[in-house]
Amino acid sequence: MANTLDQLIDQVRENRIWRSIFRGGTGDSNLHKSLLVQQNVFLHLFSIKARKRTLEFSATWYLGALTFGTFMILVITGVLLMLYYHPSVPQAYADMKDLQYVVSSGVFLRNLHRWSAHAMVFLVFAHMFKVFYRGAYRTPREFNWVIGVILLLLTLLLSYTGYLLPWDQLAYWAVTVGSNIASAVPLIGAKIRFLMLGGTAVNANALLRFYVLHCVILPLAAILFLAVHFWRIRKDGGIYAGDHSSEVSNQ
Amino acid sequence: MSRRQFFVKLGVGSVAVAALGTAAFSYQYLSPNVLYEPSPIVDAGKPDHYTPDSVTLDPQTAIYVVRTAGGFFALSAICTHLGCLTAYKPDLGVIACPCHGSKFNKDGVKIEGPAPRPLPWLRMWLSDEGDLMVDRSNAIAIKQLVRV
Amino acid sequence: MNTPKDFVAGLDSDARKTPRRIAFITKRTSPQVRVKDEERVMTYPEVFFRAAVAIEVLAITLVVVALLWDAPLEGLADPMHTPNPAKAPWYFLGLQEMLHYFPPVVAGVLVPGLVVMALIVIPYFNINIEAEGIWVRDKAKRLRIFGVVVVVFCVFLAVFRVWVALVPTVIVAAFMYLAAQAEPQSSTGFRRWLVRKPLSFWIMTWFLFELVVLTAVGTFFRGPGWSWVLPWRA
Repeated sequence: MANTLDQLIDQVRENRIWRSIFRGGTGDSNLHKSLLVQQNVFLHLFSIKARKRTLEFSATWYLGALTFGTFMILVITGVLLMLYYHPSVPQAYADMKDLQYVVSSGVFLRNLHRWSAHAMVFLVFAHMFKVFYRGAYRTPREFNWVIGVILLLLTLLLSYTGYLLPWDQLAYWAVTVGSNIASAVPLIGAKIRFLMLGGTAVNANALLRFYVLHCVILPLAAILFLAVHFWRIRKDGGIYAGDHSSEVSNQ
Repeated sequence: MSRRQFFVKLGVGSVAVAALGTAAFSYQYLSPNVLYEPSPIVDAGKPDHYTPDSVTLDPQTAIYVVRTAGGFFALSAICTHLGCLTAYKPDLGVIACPCHGSKFNKDGVKIEGPAPRPLPWLRMWLSDEGDLMVDRSNAIAIKQLVRV
Repeated sequence: MNTPKDFVAGLDSDARKTPRRIAFITKRTSPQVRVKDEERVMTYPEVFFRAAVAIEVLAITLVVVALLWDAPLEGLADPMHTPNPAKAPWYFLGLQEMLHYFPPVVAGVLVPGLVVMALIVIPYFNINIEAEGIWVRDKAKRLRIFGVVVVVFCVFLAVFRVWVALVPTVIVAAFMYLAAQAEPQSSTGFRRWLVRKPLSFWIMTWFLFELVVLTAVGTFFRGPGWSWVLPWRA
């Protein structure tokens, strides 16, 4: 039985159509392992080989990867939640109740989205502190640290804009207070608040702006900065592992 | 200046003007010209509705109508700290904010808490039909009472 | 290819006649010099499987949490009724706690703005790159500056009665003083570790400590009207 299964798999792998899609072939050789990474549009950001010391848990606690993991969970659950949510007043609140009581798995998706959001904020702070304490911000990685700070701000903004969307008491007053803090900026504070809310009060315009910010503008910005962030890690010689052997010493 | 330099300057200048123009138009686009919000003018009803020496909160419009021996005036009920809705505590004789503990007296002057400014006095007048009218977008600097 | 000793090295300031830099590339060297070779493994499967496991563990944890605990949802937004207390999400509670002591311009704009600026410029200061222990050189002079700064800052916090920020500051200052008393040959490993810590470590640790304390206070110790409550009594 197992034999025929193996034979079947081999037949599929030798099939012309399969080989036209998966051109690296399969096998245990280093060539195959290299091709898998190098020929794949999503994976070729990685180098073919990695330094063993960077893979230790104690080096990074995998915090960067975990933060990215929560981001992916948030995007997936977020898109699914968007299918049942209307960003209008007071329909938004009714939709939250719908998700809780009517939509299959609605309560699970919403919970997962909310807890992943809290987890992401926590993890992004932890990632920043871990990078700092192991000195991974030093030359030539300075600008990647700055990009990291920008990503931290984007994470906080994403969390904040998402907070308004349920349109409950928690959301409404959090945004009222936040927009009043924005108006405390000298000279241009009132203008900032007006642009932020699309008006003078927290109402339908504000909800719509926060919705577009939360679902389109900020995620796009985050993805762009993430791309640069990962690219720079690659260009800086990979993850910093506690000494300078990853650095290339040509000046 | 050579021909090349001239054209480079012309090109860069045009791009700069275009960028500024884009920024200006974007800013205008993002600032709504029409707001679907209720009018700031509030009709507070007939003066007789208010008992003498009272502080009455209208939560919907977020104003206090205060009747004293000398006349009427209106206060904004929105805390000057961070925008929470305050409440009048008759037994303590103060207006208190639930968010960070700011307290104001009946004239809107701050007694305690982190609020940076007193509650603003709002322009009040009597309409032709004898109703008390308040303009929430108009804070007055000189404290005037409306005498009835 | 000629061997290097066929060339005579000279100096000339005419950039057109003489190139400014000459690299002699001999056999078995290249412009890129690695300090030492490191053991490498194939990205697939080593990196991918570790990442997959880490993300799977994360996903399972979050799924279990999502199945057991519901996200909060209060009543419909009501502009006419402010809940008491009206608290921001937990990651902003530290900021909200500070808003209790300082005006919005300071606690809401100035301090966060300065914090972000400070974070951004960390890697551009040489002192952070070198990361030398703060007490290694000029100990007496630095101790005096440290003393003045700590006293001024604590007085400032005391004047504004920001006890929640004062206590962590005093604790961190105490450890810094302990580090100043330690020597690289001190008795315990902890003291030896402490004496090596640079200024950037102390500032960041102070910041982390303050963040945790302010957020904890805002979360657990503040009730209606932002009054002080003890969570085990509420």
